[in-house]
Amino acid sequence: MLTLAIETATRVCSAALCRDGQIIAAYDVNTGMTHSEGLLPQLEQLLQRTGVQKNEIELIAVSMGPGSFTGLRIGLATAEAMAYSWQCCLHGVDTLEGLAYNIPLEGMVLSPILDAQKGNYYQALFQWQNGRLEKLADTEVVNKERLLERIAVFGTPALLLGECGKLSGAELPEWVKVAPQNLRLPKAASVALAALDSFDAQADRKIFGLEPYYIRRSEAEELWEKRQKELSASEQ
Amino acid sequence: MKNKDIYILGIESSCDETAAAVVKNGREVLSNIISSQIVVHRKFGGVVPEIASRKHIENIMPVIDEALRQADKTLADIDAVAVTYGPGLVGALLVGLSAAKSLAWAADKPLIGVNHLEGHVFANFLSDAELKPPFMALVVSGGHTALLKVTGYNSFELLGQTRDDAAGEAFDKIARVMGLPYPGGPEIEKLALNGNPQAIEFPVAKLDAPYEFSFSGLKSAVINYLHTQKQRGAEINYADVAASFQQAVVNALVKKAVQALQDTGLKEIVLAGGVSANKTLQTELARAVSEVGARLVHPTPILCTDNAVMIACRGHFMFQAGMSSPLDLNAVPSLKLG
Repeated sequence: MLTLAIETATRVCSAALCRDGQIIAAYDVNTGMTHSEGLLPQLEQLLQRTGVQKNEIELIAVSMGPGSFTGLRIGLATAEAMAYSWQCCLHGVDTLEGLAYNIPLEGMVLSPILDAQKGNYYQALFQWQNGRLEKLADTEVVNKERLLERIAVFGTPALLLGECGKLSGAELPEWVKVAPQNLRLPKAASVALAALDSFDAQADRKIFGLEPYYIRRSEAEELWEKRQKELSASEQ
Repeated sequence: MKNKDIYILGIESSCDETAAAVVKNGREVLSNIISSQIVVHRKFGGVVPEIASRKHIENIMPVIDEALRQADKTLADIDAVAVTYGPGLVGALLVGLSAAKSLAWAADKPLIGVNHLEGHVFANFLSDAELKPPFMALVVSGGHTALLKVTGYNSFELLGQTRDDAAGEAFDKIARVMGLPYPGGPEIEKLALNGNPQAIEFPVAKLDAPYEFSFSGLKSAVINYLHTQKQRGAEINYADVAASFQQAVVNALVKKAVQALQDTGLKEIVLAGGVSANKTLQTELARAVSEVGARLVHPTPILCTDNAVMIACRGHFMFQAGMSSPLDLNAVPSLKLG
């Protein structure tokens, strides 16, 4: 199945093409250029260099978050519009799961993390077993201490990947290593492979109204709710 | 030989409306879909950018699909995709822009980035079949107040604009102080219907520059009046306040617009932007410009507020002039007029 994948959850703008399970082209840019400027020219070049025709594409895979709200929406709007135009399937991939596809190695816990601001991280835990990716723990927003606690309970060596730039220099326990730079960052190629493993020919026909995995509500909503609670508390 | 018909798909997401439309030959509306978020933002008293962006991504493709369906067209029938790339909220703009760029690229159609404010001006081509440049445009919205000389379909000359608050911004802020629900402009207008516009004299800034505006002094004067009356325990006639404030804004707008017509000798003026829906402004401007031998054109109510018809219409004239945008087009939140 010819798959076009998009990964714009972080400052990395990444696009890839995958034919019958083989990555045939991948293009990752990590300069901080906006995805709005970079994504379509990257897609255009991928097709040019591979000679793939637009009407050959059967599946769009897109990274759904967590991550930068704006980045996720640029990726998803682009993906939905392409799927609509080509009437092909659309499959959303959890960004943290996509990261775990960067390193399909058994025998260790994988802890992809993404920056959730103010010293916090989005974190989920995975492990490869018999060629399949198993989720050990769901996505949570955690600080550094909690992040390490969640890994420690498994008592296995673990690898951090994703946006771990702020942690790589910090003192980490010896059972936690940080993945090397070339395997650490979100990649559309991994998103494509993750999508192919969980592709569903029926469900993936739904291309409208998908929602990025924000995990967090907007700040305005959180403040509003807090104020409502205070108000009702003061009335009692 | 009859020219081929031109169909433009317009997309708009600069603030709190997700909109798409198909326009034929720049003058005929085949569809006009608007998904409004007013109810969502009301409890916050104004548009919350992150929430607006979230609603846009939820609605953008269904709205585009509905616009094509109602027009009985497919993407293949469309000649170009026109989209607002500014001014507006950056996160909101990026949703419509990303979808539009992707559609244009995927379907091998030209992409046309449209200035939202020029779009508002072009809404008038849909309400008046005779309208042709050159004409004057008075742009009055929540973000802008400006006099623009439209010298051709693709050439504009900014004569002057507000130095501080936009007229619509003053409406919204005063409505908020009065405790009226968002959006405040139409609420003030409703309230003013039962008020006396001469009841309270609010000052309007006198500026040396003939075509510039200033509304922050007026806004402060109204808010001060409300506070002072409250402190004194005096009863406030809110209808009179609304009517007097609205009158002061209308007076300032009308005066500058008439001056601009007299100085340029133009015989037509159009209203553009959200505040152009204000009936008092429409009536008084129409009367004043007719006294100097000019006529007023204003959009139909549905095209006064944000919509994608106006974006498609603006896009049509750019398409005819061979204008298009590159695929790396970015959102420009503070895009200027002229």
